[in-house]
Amino acid sequence: MSQPLAYFFDSLYLIKPETSIIGFLVLILLYDLIFKKEKWLPYISLFGLVVTLFLIIEQYGYNKFAFQSSTNFGMMAIDPFGAFFKIIILLSSIIVILFSILSKELDVARDRMGEYYTLIFGMILGMFLMVSASDLILIYIAVELVSLSSFVLAGFLKNDSRSSEASLKYIIFGGVSSGIMLFGISILYGITGTTNLYEMNSLLQNFDSTNILMILTMILIFAGIGYKISAVPFHFWTPDVYEGAPVTITAYLSVASKAAGIVLLIRLIKSTFVSQKDTFGYWEMIPAFDWQGFLIIISILTMTIGNFSALWQSNVKRMLAYSSIAHAGYILAAIAVLSDQGLVGVMVYFIIYLLMNLGAFLIVIVIKNKINSEELEDYDGLGYRMPLVGVAFTIFLISLTGIPPTAGFIGKLYVFIALVDAKMLVLAVIMLLNSVVSLYYYVRILKHLYLNKPKAETTDIELSFSLKLFILVLAVPNIIFGLYFAPILEFVKTSLIILGI
Amino acid sequence: MMEVGLQHFLVVSAILFSLGIFGVVTRKNAVMVLMGIELILNAANINFIAFAKYGNFGFDGQLIALFVIVLAAAEAAIALAIVLNIYKNFATVNVDEINKLKE
Amino acid sequence: MSEYNYTLLALLVFFLPLLGFLVTILLGKKFSKIYLFEVAIITIVLILSIVIGFFKLGFQVDERIISQFTWIDLKSAGTPYTSFIIELGIVLDNISVIMLFVVSLVSTLVHYFSIAYMKGDPRFNRYFAYLGLFTFSMMGIVLTHNFLMMYIFWELVGVSSYLLIGFWYEKDSASDAAKKAFLANRVGDLGMLAGLLILFTTYHTFTIDNVFGQIALGVLPFNSEFWLTIMGVLLFCGAIGKSAQLPLHVWLPDAMEGPTPVSALIHAATMVAAGVYLVTRIFPLFTGDALLFIAVVGALSALIPATIALTQNDIKKVLAYSTISQLGYMIMALGIGSYFYGYFHLITHAFFKAGLFLAAGSVIHAMHHEQDIQNMGGLRKKLPITYATFLVFCLAISGVPLTSGFLSKDGILAGALAFGSLTGHYLITVVGFTVAMLTAFYMFRLLILTFHGKPKDKHAYDHAHESPALMTVPLIILAVLSFFAFYSFNPTTAEKGWVFEKWIQTPESVVPESARYSFMVPESEIRDRKIIHSETYTKTVHDAHIPAVILSLLLSGFGILVAFTIYYWKKISADKIANSLKPLYKFSLNKWYFDELYDKTFIAFTMFLSKILNWFDAKIIDGVVNGAASVTRGFSKISGGFDTIVIDGFVNFSAFFSGLVGIVLRKMQTGKVQVYIVLLIFSIVILIFYFSR
Repeated sequence: MSQPLAYFFDSLYLIKPETSIIGFLVLILLYDLIFKKEKWLPYISLFGLVVTLFLIIEQYGYNKFAFQSSTNFGMMAIDPFGAFFKIIILLSSIIVILFSILSKELDVARDRMGEYYTLIFGMILGMFLMVSASDLILIYIAVELVSLSSFVLAGFLKNDSRSSEASLKYIIFGGVSSGIMLFGISILYGITGTTNLYEMNSLLQNFDSTNILMILTMILIFAGIGYKISAVPFHFWTPDVYEGAPVTITAYLSVASKAAGIVLLIRLIKSTFVSQKDTFGYWEMIPAFDWQGFLIIISILTMTIGNFSALWQSNVKRMLAYSSIAHAGYILAAIAVLSDQGLVGVMVYFIIYLLMNLGAFLIVIVIKNKINSEELEDYDGLGYRMPLVGVAFTIFLISLTGIPPTAGFIGKLYVFIALVDAKMLVLAVIMLLNSVVSLYYYVRILKHLYLNKPKAETTDIELSFSLKLFILVLAVPNIIFGLYFAPILEFVKTSLIILGI
Repeated sequence: MMEVGLQHFLVVSAILFSLGIFGVVTRKNAVMVLMGIELILNAANINFIAFAKYGNFGFDGQLIALFVIVLAAAEAAIALAIVLNIYKNFATVNVDEINKLKE
Repeated sequence: MSEYNYTLLALLVFFLPLLGFLVTILLGKKFSKIYLFEVAIITIVLILSIVIGFFKLGFQVDERIISQFTWIDLKSAGTPYTSFIIELGIVLDNISVIMLFVVSLVSTLVHYFSIAYMKGDPRFNRYFAYLGLFTFSMMGIVLTHNFLMMYIFWELVGVSSYLLIGFWYEKDSASDAAKKAFLANRVGDLGMLAGLLILFTTYHTFTIDNVFGQIALGVLPFNSEFWLTIMGVLLFCGAIGKSAQLPLHVWLPDAMEGPTPVSALIHAATMVAAGVYLVTRIFPLFTGDALLFIAVVGALSALIPATIALTQNDIKKVLAYSTISQLGYMIMALGIGSYFYGYFHLITHAFFKAGLFLAAGSVIHAMHHEQDIQNMGGLRKKLPITYATFLVFCLAISGVPLTSGFLSKDGILAGALAFGSLTGHYLITVVGFTVAMLTAFYMFRLLILTFHGKPKDKHAYDHAHESPALMTVPLIILAVLSFFAFYSFNPTTAEKGWVFEKWIQTPESVVPESARYSFMVPESEIRDRKIIHSETYTKTVHDAHIPAVILSLLLSGFGILVAFTIYYWKKISADKIANSLKPLYKFSLNKWYFDELYDKTFIAFTMFLSKILNWFDAKIIDGVVNGAASVTRGFSKISGGFDTIVIDGFVNFSAFFSGLVGIVLRKMQTGKVQVYIVLLIFSIVILIFYFSR
């Protein structure tokens, strides 16, 4: 067998999770085509996700390139860091598929659920590729794959005008952003002559000062990434799409595709711009582009604008959209430290963000199922009508604010410590002030739940046992991880191996 | 007669890119907006091919261009489906008037 | 048993009371019988702690089982500048295992006792829920292995004590007493917090063993032994508050406003002992000077309340003062380096003092909530079981041979005698012996006035009846535990008993040898962990034992004799003595005027300060505001409406500002996707220009 072919077959072993996702995607498609039985679709999907989860765990320790070229660098980097985020993506996918079974909003489209799960699997595939991609071609394809699937999913409720509007805005904004990113990539290709991030690293070592072309290309490329993680000023689509899309998809976009975008950003910075690491884990950067300054500005803008915009929202989904923008800001702040320690902050934050944000969205789904509204004023007095929902929502919101003893506090703590340690005190203080602002609108929801009197006579609302269990499964870890988070930290630290320097 | 070189291609692509943005921002009809996006993508394509040819970077550039064309087609297909759906719901494809979700 | 099993059992013992609390408080309104759940839980806890104690003390005496996990770890997160590790965990060593047993036993007995005592109370279930919360927090203090958890549970114990003292919050005196207890404890805790801050900034850890290890390596706060002393004294301040030592003792007598079983559990046997327990836990880090301070505080707290107890007429108040006095004894014992006897007295005292309070509860129950002993008398025949147990407890607390109190008290007195002869601080020795005499006197005064003589209140006497078995059985159990046989086969000394020989050894001090008491520096080169005192000290204590026994027997015998002479045989009239020593009598009756002193000083000062501030507020601030307002009004005549804009606008500025920003940002979100793209392109251009300056 010739050498490249041998590489190719070796690499197939490394992309087992992706292969499994493709396999199940096809399976769901065929099943839907042949049997037309909606009932079993979610369970097939869940099975597929669990199988993939096992495959990822099985290859967790791998640290090499897949699809190597002759220059020893490959198209994909399979490393524990990527596996970590793949696990996060899978977990959120599992939770979102469970959401989809519950959500009454999707009932109007139950006959098309085959497409729905196929598209979700398409998104998962795209996100997996985003997480592992170390080549600009693959990055672009992965980003587009995620985008194309999510455009359709955002407009999945065809007859709902809000949903269709969301998808139109999404595709126009997404198309332009990724177009700009592609243009940036094309220039970068012109500068370096390669599409591989790791090859670029050695070529960029020649730059000893900032370079106007690099600034241009990096900001253009960041337009595409920033749009995925909804960083200000690339966030304008976020509130509208999050509000219009089905809640399940909103929840999914706010966690999974954000995670994939963050990994893409980290990999781009880490493998392309870091020349070496010092003993404390701080990265020495190639001075072609001032990533730190750039990220600080973007992160301050993102958290501040996200939080302040959330202040006056009356639609809870939209408020959570802005809050997710603010959280992206906190995560960007941790990346801006440009050290391994900052990455610890990012990763801890993401696990916790997954729990608390999906929890909050679950509550929104449950309430929407029962009273068919997402408007804040319709939430009046709900805390007494659905005690468990009220308590769980309180936990999620307090966790999102970042007050002990909830997990959200731990997430913020690690980001904060990383900032303080890197002597980026201004950013740390801005982050604290932002948390204070965020307290206001999170507590506003609680005020409606508990203090405002409902307008009409109401009765208690019963929840099914499985729903209660599901709520608890998301709520209890928010407390437990607030008190005992050593396992998270262990997991994060063992996962902190990024291919390359 | 001047030789056609890299710079010419780059200028054309820059103009195409700007026209694309201009189209996206100014056209009222959603289909025209989508065509603007196509222009942006093709501007990038020209860049790729031009760099590949004049920089002697191998075939990577052409390869990317092919991928981009495929993706652009997929995107256009989806976008048109969405526009169709918009027309069913709003009875218009004027991007300006589709602004129920705001603030 | 394996370490794993120990940890599992200990965690059960730790968290079951919390479960009991949660279930009882949450379901208390729905199910009136839910208190039985709490009682069942606490019984399980007792059984589990007996199991732990049996295996640990029986088979693994020398092991220390520490189970902890890292809660916050900033060291291995790779932070070079801010690095510390906070661990949470529990430790099972002999002192915690024994304490576990004491707490769960007394708590269980009090639970059962309360079923009968609190019958008919409208908040019956809530009462049991609070007991569960208290037990949980007390377990936390006992089991913890680090200062942080210690502090957290310290406060939690304070909270549950507050809830229970003010349980009958309809009574003003009860809610006032609860507040007073809470405030007095805060004062002590403030000191403890300061100590913890010094500790944490110096050692970057809260784990007790790690702190000891670092001190042993010579790491001192601010590199000075002086600050080590200060740190120890500050930490001890927590114990002053919680164990009601002078000068913060004033809350404990008032705390008797709570239900009597609560007084038995919290304000006699367990919570107030937490201070003593803290001192035993962190004993190795006290320098000689800090220990001397502790000894002096303990001696004063032993003496002064004992003199107050002589003249009190409320049965619970007498017991409260005797509690302070006995706690002072323990603290003093620890302060003079008599570690084992201090801890031992904590155990024996827990049983007989809980017994005394429960017996008092039984009396109060029988007398329909009469607490004044001058209205009692002759109850011996009506309450035979209560009387018999009360007598045992009195003998024990007075240190009569064959009782547990004799063993522990004589040890302390021998230690005091030795301490006096080694260091010349004979005052402490004198105080120790005086208190022994006073204790015997006032306890027997209490016994005689309550149970002997003629009934003063005929009506109440006729209605008095022995309490139900739910109340008497706990008394009997505690009375049995007040005999020597449970602690040592030899009724004259605990030294040969298993508690001393096997279970409790004085831990070696970790402070620099120059900062210790000289007698706590071993003379021989062999540093066996059993020899932590110098040989001279061991010998002196041994020699002091016989004289101490004789002297203390004489003194407490004298005290009992005097009590009988005055109150039983009535050879000497109590009133006559009181009259002839009128100033002293009044001084004691009015509790040395501590409350009045605090009223006149601290509280008056605070009131004065608040008055000044009030005046300042009224005259100066208001004046300024009014002046400004009138100036503003002047302006407002020129431009109408200016007033509202300035004042309201300024007050609401911050809210207004953030609101404004929010609204502006909202307006940017026009809903038109093309506007978004314009903004996007615009910001990209700005970013590119900004970064390519």
